[in-house]
Formats: sequence, structure tokens, C-alpha cells
Amino acid sequence: MREILIVGRGGQGAQTAGNLLARAFFGEGKYVQTFATYGGARRGTPVTSSLRIDDQAIRLRCDIECASALLCFDDSLLDEGFLARADSKTKIVVNSAKSRESFRDYGDFIILPINGKDIARQNDMGKVVNSALLGAFIAVLDQPQLETMCEVIEQTAPAKKQQNVAACRQTFQMFNDSLQAG
Amino acid sequence: MKEKQNLQLLSGNHAVSWGVKLARPHVAPLYPITPQTPILEKLTEFHSQGELDAELLTPESEHSAMSACVAASLTGARVFTATSSQGLLLMHELLHYASGARAPIVMFNVNRTPGSPWAFWPDQIDSLSQRDTGWIKMYSESPQESLDTVIQAFRIAEKLALPLMISHDAFYVSHAVEPVELPQQELVDNFLPAYNPELRLDTSLGQSFGAPIDQATWNRSRREAGEAMARVENEVLETGKAWGELTGRSYAALENYRTEAADTIIVTMGSMCGTVRDAVDALRDQGTAVGLLKVRQFRPLPVQTLRDSLAGIPSVLVLDRNYSPGMGGILHQELKSALFGMRDAPRVHGLLAGVGGVNVSSNKIQQLVAEYADAKPSNDSVWVE
Repeated sequence: MREILIVGRGGQGAQTAGNLLARAFFGEGKYVQTFATYGGARRGTPVTSSLRIDDQAIRLRCDIECASALLCFDDSLLDEGFLARADSKTKIVVNSAKSRESFRDYGDFIILPINGKDIARQNDMGKVVNSALLGAFIAVLDQPQLETMCEVIEQTAPAKKQQNVAACRQTFQMFNDSLQAG
Repeated sequence: MKEKQNLQLLSGNHAVSWGVKLARPHVAPLYPITPQTPILEKLTEFHSQGELDAELLTPESEHSAMSACVAASLTGARVFTATSSQGLLLMHELLHYASGARAPIVMFNVNRTPGSPWAFWPDQIDSLSQRDTGWIKMYSESPQESLDTVIQAFRIAEKLALPLMISHDAFYVSHAVEPVELPQQELVDNFLPAYNPELRLDTSLGQSFGAPIDQATWNRSRREAGEAMARVENEVLETGKAWGELTGRSYAALENYRTEAADTIIVTMGSMCGTVRDAVDALRDQGTAVGLLKVRQFRPLPVQTLRDSLAGIPSVLVLDRNYSPGMGGILHQELKSALFGMRDAPRVHGLLAGVGGVNVSSNKIQQLVAEYADAKPSNDSVWVE
């Protein structure tokens, strides 16, 4: 079973990202479970979306204590509390304008920054970063396939469908190229 | 994934809304509250799209919502409502009224911590503190079970003229999006007979109801409710079996999971049952004989079936996601009472696990089984750290 955590601030789209990713895995024949937890439904407070993926029906109904991958919508949320749910093998993608080197002080973690805001702006998406972040994240996860993810985004995006898909493809390509280059 | 028909990704709350739509209620008074609101939102969406032919009422509070439920139900309408935590507590007065009036309302409650302190976490004290209001009370483990149970609930409640409350835990079930099999409308129509009560309020009849009655009549009303309660377990079993014949998913008041020749049985309700299944499988793989006894029907408590299920079992761990200050875990206390006087009663350990929504992992449950394998039971419930 794969266990993934997505964290963001209320209104940024972390819960939506979890649901879209679950939909893509489900579309590829996997059993999925995703749930969001939040202290209060208001903009700006931290929201965590948990995602489990397996070949069998998922029965666990508890928190993910150590995720195999993390997606963080805001580098100010990448603190000790959040990193306590990661280990040295966890792949962490973080929305940040900072360089990879600037995360070295965080400890023995694989932290891969992506400037989601910049990519969103390039694709006429304003501050809406979730499609850009999902492209980078699925490249790191190696699943689901880019085409499945783009199909889900196209089906569910309430507006700017082509721009959302383009942002997803762009970051997927960027991360795929850099991962292959090592 | 094995091929299944009509499998959709739904949250637990939206699965409830789908079940309600398929059951074709006539009236649904609703008031929003986190984390129940998605049930209301989906029902209003169905209604606005012309897919739900019900009268949706949005009164000014949960107290008014339940008042409207009672009145509508007594006219012979099929009635649904949903709430959570503070909302359920505000309904309290009317919960007694509904059961006393024998109004077969079906209500869905999303288990959430009541204030103070203010929070939104999964904890069953909201619904368990309503245990003496005369409602049938059931607890669901998963979105699929919530959908299946809400449909069965109308059949059970209307047959016995008793209101029925189903609860599922906040977030772990209410907001868990996962594959859910949607039954066809025709299947549900055949399963669920039209509600046609013998007695109903009718404005064309000039009669008055609700006048004060004498002591003996009030006394008799509760004895009659008790007689109806005594028929619940069998009705839950028959209805769950009939549902199983149509869908392949059968249900009963209690469920045994890998309890054969068990040295320890874990007894719990709601979402934690799923995590316990995982722990049971891991422990069985290591050679530890442990099983799960899931309590799906909490009121009336299936006392004789509990005694039969636990006879001769050396040790029982009760996991309570609730706490009654000054008393302990409610399921722990109820189970001790149910097993009282049994010659071969198990050692019963009551563990306060997950109160306030704190995490209870599969590993934690496995540790607890090891820790309590040979322990002496305490009369009091014990906090799990």
C-alpha cells in the first residue's frame, strides 16, 4: 500500500489535489481512499489530505504516520511537525521559489521544490497552483500516468481546462527530465 | 481491481446522500453543521436537478428541523434528516418526543466532538449521550456500509414504528472518498416497500392529539416501545440478509471477523473496526489467535448474541472512542453489564482509545493485544497513551 500526504492552507486546493490524484489512480484500476482533515473549515488554516492506494480494498481508518511521499502547497508549512510524518526515503515535493540547496538544513530528507506560482502564472492560471504541483508530484511518484492525470484535470477543472492541463504537463516534463538526469 | 458494477468514488457523506435519494423520502428537514454539511449539499443538488422528489425544509435550527421531522412523519411521510455533534445535542428534547410518538424518522449523525473545547474530530460521545432517547442506534464503518444501512434503515424503522439513528465517524468515514457500489433504483424500489402507516395525522379528520394522559398510559407507551425494541435485532438481521441477497453485502446486528478459536476478541464500533481488521490479519499471520466483534447495532444492545459470541473467550478488549467523565468508556460499561452473571465470561479490558479523535493505528492495536493478553482486568476504563 502506498500512503501519501498533501498539506496546504485552506483554499489552496490541497483537498482537491488529493481527490484528483485519487481519481487518477482509481481510473488506472487501483483501490483508493482519500480523506481531508482540518481544524476548522476556513481559508488559511492548515488542511491535510491523506491518500492510500492499493491493489486490494482499503480497510485502515487512521492517520498516515509515515508517508512514502508528501506534497506541500506552502513552504511555511514544511516544519518539524509535518516532517515527523516523513523519513529519509519519503519523496517531498514543495511549492517554493527557493532552490533545492536551501532545504538541505531541514535534515535527511529528499525535498524537491517546484515554483508552482511561477508555472501557474506562465499558464495564465493566476495563483491556482494545484495542477502545476500535481504534474511534478506524479513525475516523482512515477504513477499515475500523465495522460490519466490530464484526463481527470480536464474532466473536473471548473474553468481554464486547457491551461490547467498545460501547467500539469509542463511541471511533469521538468521533473521527469531532471529525475532522469539524476 | 475486480470488476464491479456501478462503482463510483464517493465520500462517506455523499454515499449517504445517494442512499437517501434511492430511498425516495417525502420530506427532509435539514440544518448544516460541520462535518455533516456535504450530506445536505448533495441532497439539495439532487433536488435542484430534479432527481429528488422530496420536500426539503431548511428551518432556523436543528431543534426546529427535528420538530418538522416529527410532524411530517406522523402524517405518514417518509422522513430523513442529518446532523452532527452540537446539532444533535440541540435536538435532544425532540428525540424523546419522536420515539414516544413512534415516528419512524431516519437520521444520519456524523460523530464529532462536542464543545467545549471547540473541535471537529471523530468521537462518538455526541450520539452515545443520546442512548436513552428511545431511538434505534447503528454505527457504520465505511462509506459503502453507510449507503447500504441508510436504505435498510427506512425498512427497519417503518416496520417497527421506531426512529433510527445511524452514525459514522467524522473524517475517517464522512470525508473518506473511496469506491462505493451504487445500487440501481429498481433494486431499491423492490427492496423498500412504500410507507403506509395504519395511523396518521390527517387534516381532513377533526381529531385532537397530544393532550396530557394519565400515568398508566404513559407507562404503557414505554412498555410498547420496549416491545418494539425487542424485535429490532431480528429485523436488522432479516433486512440485512435480504439486502445481501440483492447486492452480495449482508449485514447483522453484530459481525464476527476471524473470531474462530480466538484467545482475544476486540470489541468496537464505527471506523475503528477497519483498522482492527488490519491488526487482526497481521496478528493472525504471526500466530496470535485474535478476532474482531463489531457492534453495528448499539441500541437495543444485542445482549444474548453478545453473550453467545463471547462465551468461553479468555480475553476481550473494548476500544471506546468516547468518554463519559466519572464513568469511563460507554461500550465497556455496556458490555460488562451485558455479560453480567455469565459462568464462562471473558476478562473484559476497557480501553479509552481514540477519544477526541487521537490516532489509533494498526500497530497500536497490535501492541495493546500483546500488552493485555494475560493482564488482570480493571473495573475502570484505562486511557491508552
